[in-house]
Amino acid sequence: MEGVIPKTLNEALSLMASKNYIPVAGGTDLMVRYKRWKNLTPSFPAAPLFIANLPELRGIYREDDELIIKAATPLSDIEGHSDIPVVLKEAVRLMASPGIRNIGTIGGNVGNASPAGDTLPPLYVLDANVVLLSEKGKRTLRIYEFIKGPGKNDRREDEIIYEIRFKVPEYTHYFYRKVGTRKANALSKLSFAGIAKVENGIIEDFRISLGAVAPFPVRVIEIERKVVGKKTEEIDGQFIDSIKKDYEPYIRPIDDQRSTAYYRKKTSLRLIESFLRAL
Amino acid sequence: MRDISKPVRRFDASEKIAGVARFVDDHYEEGMLYGKIVRSERVRAKIKAIKIPELPEGYHVISAKDIPGKNRIKMIFDDWPFLAEDVVNYFGEPILLVVGPEREKVYEISESIEIEYEDIPAILSVEEALLNKKPPIYGENNLFADYFFEKGDVENAFSEADEVIEEEFKTGFQEHIYLEPQGMIAKYNNGRIEVFGSMQCPFYVKNALIEEFDTKPDKIRVVQTTTGGGFGGKEEYPSQIAGIAALGAYKTGKTVKLVYDRAEDVEFTTKRHPSHIRIKGAVKNGKVIGIEVEIILNAGSYAGLSSVVLQRGMFAATGAYSIPNVRVIGKAVATNIVPMGAFRGFGAPQSIFAIETFMNHVAKRLGRDPVEFKLSHRYRKGDTTATGGLLRNEVRLPEIVNRVLSMSDYYSKKKEKKEGKKLYGIGFSMFLHGCGFTGNGEEILKSIARLKKRKDNKVEILISNVDMGQGPQTTLRKVVAEVLGIPYEDVIYENPDTDRVPDSGPTVASRTAMIVGGLLYRAAKELKEKWVDGEEIVVEKQYRHPEYIKWDQEKFKGDAYPEYSWGANVIEVEVDPITYEIDVKKAYAVFDLGTPLDRKIIEGQIHGGMLQGIGYATLEVMEQKDGRFMQRTITDYIVPTALDAPLFETDLVSQPYEHGPFGAKCAGELTFVGAAPAVCAAVEDALQIDLYEIPIRPEKLLTIMEKKNESEV
Repeated sequence: MEGVIPKTLNEALSLMASKNYIPVAGGTDLMVRYKRWKNLTPSFPAAPLFIANLPELRGIYREDDELIIKAATPLSDIEGHSDIPVVLKEAVRLMASPGIRNIGTIGGNVGNASPAGDTLPPLYVLDANVVLLSEKGKRTLRIYEFIKGPGKNDRREDEIIYEIRFKVPEYTHYFYRKVGTRKANALSKLSFAGIAKVENGIIEDFRISLGAVAPFPVRVIEIERKVVGKKTEEIDGQFIDSIKKDYEPYIRPIDDQRSTAYYRKKTSLRLIESFLRAL
Repeated sequence: MRDISKPVRRFDASEKIAGVARFVDDHYEEGMLYGKIVRSERVRAKIKAIKIPELPEGYHVISAKDIPGKNRIKMIFDDWPFLAEDVVNYFGEPILLVVGPEREKVYEISESIEIEYEDIPAILSVEEALLNKKPPIYGENNLFADYFFEKGDVENAFSEADEVIEEEFKTGFQEHIYLEPQGMIAKYNNGRIEVFGSMQCPFYVKNALIEEFDTKPDKIRVVQTTTGGGFGGKEEYPSQIAGIAALGAYKTGKTVKLVYDRAEDVEFTTKRHPSHIRIKGAVKNGKVIGIEVEIILNAGSYAGLSSVVLQRGMFAATGAYSIPNVRVIGKAVATNIVPMGAFRGFGAPQSIFAIETFMNHVAKRLGRDPVEFKLSHRYRKGDTTATGGLLRNEVRLPEIVNRVLSMSDYYSKKKEKKEGKKLYGIGFSMFLHGCGFTGNGEEILKSIARLKKRKDNKVEILISNVDMGQGPQTTLRKVVAEVLGIPYEDVIYENPDTDRVPDSGPTVASRTAMIVGGLLYRAAKELKEKWVDGEEIVVEKQYRHPEYIKWDQEKFKGDAYPEYSWGANVIEVEVDPITYEIDVKKAYAVFDLGTPLDRKIIEGQIHGGMLQGIGYATLEVMEQKDGRFMQRTITDYIVPTALDAPLFETDLVSQPYEHGPFGAKCAGELTFVGAAPAVCAAVEDALQIDLYEIPIRPEKLLTIMEKKNESEV
């Protein structure tokens, strides 16, 4: 299997249109997914198209009230950029190790669509959009429309992930927790991202998302609506219990080599409670 | 006279830092073949048929039938084959070796070989093995070893007791994760087999190959290549890889390289024995007057070194405590999983975790301070050990303990718990480690060390012990140079080559500095007397136990070790009250390991050993499901990273051993054994609970805390 390094974005798009390529940016997920045996090249099911060096796919920009992160922007650039909301920055900071963050990209993490993908819960609470690009043009999807299940996304074969964009929300509270197997270079047992805006004792905005506890990140707008509009003093034990109960059916984790379904579920609910109590 | 303990620059540092050290996989030669092992895909089965595709020229598939001698890896028992014959006993057991010039093709062939199996009911746990309802793996009852020893009158102690306390403890698997995976290169020239590779024990490998090829010692040469970590994982296991690689070379007449992929190494090499330990203590007037300890080790599918691992575990059953009436029962049990093997501490860490945690629990029950309670039971000079051995040297535990308590400010931290978002806890452990081989091991080995003074007045160390990162390249040079009064650089110490060095024994059991260093020390003394400039002089020393050592290997009576090292640890943790993640913040340690041969190297041993112990107690989870490990890559098998390491504060109390070089005792394993019980005690303190099992997973803490909170409501 021969890999191709396109010189321009147009060339990349025309190659993508011509036959089935696997777009590769940092390769930190794909090289592991397709590895075989030591010293052998990985067995990509289709030819890899190396797109990380295309300048159109790198960088962080503001456009009106939106923040745009180009797909092949390395995680370490996101970690160090002043415009990035803390809830996302914090998630990126806790990912993998510096070496992997230097080469791994946000587009890759989103495209990998792992239930444990660490940028996903923050991007869910930021209401991020994923912009796909092909010779036919751009297609913009909400992140929860883009992520279809473990390892599955809505990218067509001729498309590449072009950028991630979102409106930077105003918030007064944020809470990010990665419960990993250790402090660095660890996959998540579960993760929690939450933001809230409280003004004059009234909760004006409230969003939370959980990772690694269901086939895709959990975000439930209907439950959030029950919290929005409440006065902070109304957030009592009884209310918190009812919210936790609402979330329960959406938190459907599994037992695996990193943790147990029971721990993941209980800890998710404990983190929800902790965030609510902090408002 | 230079200060032997004063740190010098490590002799292996610059080549390792610069990346020029050549590990086994860095060696290449024209025409070399690559090997890949075809492994069992069943947990336990008969091999019915093997279908090998047509092989391209230059490619070969090698099986047990190609072994000219005995298809058993020479160890204590006679059960472990190099390549499986008609039965496989664990998932991943080697069956065939594929060799050829291109890795790609070798991989392809190995993937296309079809093996037909007929399953045999697999024994998946120790409980199942002891029930003995399925065809046994070993003997008639699945027991590789079934031991017992007693001291005093245990029954009487229980009948006299005010209270009898019985608890059960569990410890898990542990994988070594040395930086360099296992590997060997084998050559066959004119009826001679040569093996080069990553190993701790060149003569174990040599002896294994002599039997495998049914040949004479001079037909086998084994050379250690610079080794990137061992921790016991490269004690017995390299004999198997060497045997398989050598068979490839023998069959093809070509050089064969067989180096494991990390995933192969994690899943299919030896592990630390999981244990189930029951302790029953007789308490009278606030003292433990009698104790019964039953140790059950999961030994895996072949005996390996399990019988000796069990012995060390049993001899450590009472920890650092003088208990007059002792009964210790031990069993090493066969199950269908990879053979368990040597790992830093060799059975002792399991026992020390159990006895330390037991003593904590008894102290708490009696309303006593655990430190004071433990000190009141401590060994003193003149006491006899659990096996009735005499402690001839000063036991400086009070000094060790006082120093670690003041370093850590233990009592004020324990009393005034820090208020914060996290739950704070502090824990203490005290312990010992027997130096050198267990029981009569050193007597059987009769190690020989040689010094050769060359005409250019440089002196070469000729021993079979290896530097795997623990520092003998530096410390043993220092010992010899110091005695002779010559510059350190004038001492030569090459990686051992069995054609050139005598058998000074394996690099295990924390014996290299004390036992082999002791031989070199005495050889250097003699060489100094015989020294003539410009002449070649050879001096050899053979090990003999000091005459006062008495040991009965049948009854397990007497001095199980010639000397002991001692230590105490204090560990501080913070536990997250929502997620129950454990954050090990600070580790304090004071050790008596005799005279340190280099303070910096010892500090490295302490940090590394304790961090490995902290990992053992917290992060290192390895579970079995349907006969396979669930954690089989380094993505899923979690060892601590630098970020998981606590801040260390360490100190030494040095009670010299007269037969160790400059008074050195054992160090490498000692630094490991105390961390797990100290972490456990700290987590117990943070959450006000009792624990009985390592690794301590947040998952487990959650269920314990839920029960605790329910019962308190």
